[in-house]
Amino acid sequence: MTSNIAQPREAGENPSRNANQALPLLTVRGICKSFQSNIVLRNVSFTVRPGEVLGLIGPNGAGKTTLFECLAGLTPTDAGEVISHGKPLPPHARKQSLFYMPDAIRPWPDQTVGWVASFFQQMYGRSPSESADLLKSLKLDHLSRRRVWMLSKGEAKRLLLALGLLTPQPVLLIDEPFDGLDLRQTKEVMALLQEHARRSRTLFVSIHQLTDAARLCDRLVLLSAGRVVGEGTLNELSTDAGLPGSGLEEVFLALT
Amino acid sequence: MRSHRFFLLLQKDLRELLASRAYWILLLIIGPLVGHGFITAVNLYAEASGIAGGPAALAQGLTPLDGILVPTFGAYDLAATLLFPFVAIRMIAAEKESGAWKLMLQSPTAISEMLSSKALALLVGWIIAWLPGILAIILWRTYGGHLFGPETINLLLGHLLRVSISAGIAVAAAAIMPGAANAAIVTLAFTLGTWALEFIAAGRGGLLQQLASFTPTAALRSFEQGQLRLSIVAVTFVVAVAGFVVSGLWMDLSLRWRQLLLRTVGMMIVVAVFAIPAARVRAAWDFSEDRRNSFTQTDEAALAQIREPLHITINLAAEDPRLMDYERNILSKLRRILPEVNADYASQSRSGLFESGNHYGEIWYEYRGQKVMNRSTTEPIVLESLYKLVGVNPPTTSGESRFSGYPLAARPTGAPILFYAIWPLLICSLWLFHSKGSR
Repeated sequence: MTSNIAQPREAGENPSRNANQALPLLTVRGICKSFQSNIVLRNVSFTVRPGEVLGLIGPNGAGKTTLFECLAGLTPTDAGEVISHGKPLPPHARKQSLFYMPDAIRPWPDQTVGWVASFFQQMYGRSPSESADLLKSLKLDHLSRRRVWMLSKGEAKRLLLALGLLTPQPVLLIDEPFDGLDLRQTKEVMALLQEHARRSRTLFVSIHQLTDAARLCDRLVLLSAGRVVGEGTLNELSTDAGLPGSGLEEVFLALT
Repeated sequence: MRSHRFFLLLQKDLRELLASRAYWILLLIIGPLVGHGFITAVNLYAEASGIAGGPAALAQGLTPLDGILVPTFGAYDLAATLLFPFVAIRMIAAEKESGAWKLMLQSPTAISEMLSSKALALLVGWIIAWLPGILAIILWRTYGGHLFGPETINLLLGHLLRVSISAGIAVAAAAIMPGAANAAIVTLAFTLGTWALEFIAAGRGGLLQQLASFTPTAALRSFEQGQLRLSIVAVTFVVAVAGFVVSGLWMDLSLRWRQLLLRTVGMMIVVAVFAIPAARVRAAWDFSEDRRNSFTQTDEAALAQIREPLHITINLAAEDPRLMDYERNILSKLRRILPEVNADYASQSRSGLFESGNHYGEIWYEYRGQKVMNRSTTEPIVLESLYKLVGVNPPTTSGESRFSGYPLAARPTGAPILFYAIWPLLICSLWLFHSKGSR
């Protein structure tokens, strides 16, 4: 794992992924969601391309988590659809294409890390060695007998990442994959996610640390007050913002 | 693959059951509760059997169903009402609150499979909790006590149905309400509601009393009397299953409010469509060894000639002990064998102490426009009046041997140490062993 430290790269510089730009894996169209009078998502539309790492960034309260839950079919939308291979994907069928790993959950807190990982491994038909490798990669192998409620925030986050990476759906949605991780762990996890993306798994991650987002993601979706205010590579976004050549922080402040 | 996944789910739910403090507390408490019921029952049974030289007549007709089984298993009614709902609520609420349910909803398993697995895990948990009751039965047999298989199995079935209602209501509450505490309040409110319904409906007749006969406690009472009523089995089963189905609807997070409400109302309509006709099913079997729910076979043969509806007007108040005698000794038996019995409870007061009319205490029978009045709640006197009213010749002899009872003057040897010491120690040890490493 430590040999796979992530290298910083400009979002959108992966040529193999750019080749797939014309063929979206998922098209999200016109998603609207409100909780009573509070409008959380307003006509959200964007595309997800195969094999890319797509970042969802936006200020607190922009609607990132709600958007993920709507996409995964865990929260009903007021309007909008998700299209896969040219056909609408109804909420109950989303789990065939998407898996969403929420942030700040502690599933089965009274069970051990090893058992939870083994449950996911068996549920999704993965081999025990795959599960063991993943736990090792995420430095969880020595914690396999520890109960989930006893894990630190960072350890719990790594367990959630392991569970997410054991699932087989083509698109993995991760809410705040680096929350609770220190700098070294962040880099290691980033490298692991990039490795999975290289194996043609599409990742859609919400990240509040803009430097991390710029390092990891091929493209970005900027969400502000429930609206998509920008979609594309960093270069495309900075051009849209009228700040060509600027960093993500400047683009973020200009667009949100 | 599907069965493998279900096995995985069941394994998970059993582990979660064992991780539940509520379940261990239930196991810890149930032993002494059952033990107390059993020890008291055996002592009382021995006294009634003449261990201290009491009147010999008291020992006649003594039956282990009333004397031992019902008081021993009474602890399970208490557990099903006040302890088991928390175990069932935890099965749902823990996954909801920890976020595990969001992960499970995205797994290849259907919600119905997940809830079936939880139901099965709860059933396994309840059967494990039956161990003290089973031990009590074994002890009773070692004392030389008698057991009648059909009435024992019937009683166990009653307790199983009793707990399945508790589980159904609890999982539905856990799915609908935010948080386990709210679900517990709703479940207990439901229990209190059924008790209130029973109290209000007592002696009133009509739809209210019919409804009250299906509350968990009333339903269990029928089994405790050695009676198996198909209507109670069917309604209880439908309500329990409906609880799990409603839970499944509310645990589907992709549904909008409107969809949820429509489906819940639809579900309630489906329940009503099944439960209302089921409640009217008259089929019932008397599994008691002393045939307490039946007239003699010759009387039943004579009464079988009654084909038209029999109307009964009862001028007895709800709390008048004669009404309870009448319902148990006459009315329930008539309802079991006659094609249609309509009972009208005419008394307006609860106690009957201040009834001003001259008709209080009268019981009127009407058949094909003919009426007859009788004040008795005793079987032979009532039957005599009925035979005259319907024009049927009374049978000359019953031809049945009288139930002589099974007196047994035994002491509950070994029971106190088993239920008050060994069982709690065993459960505490297992609990500690299971939670080893979690600290």
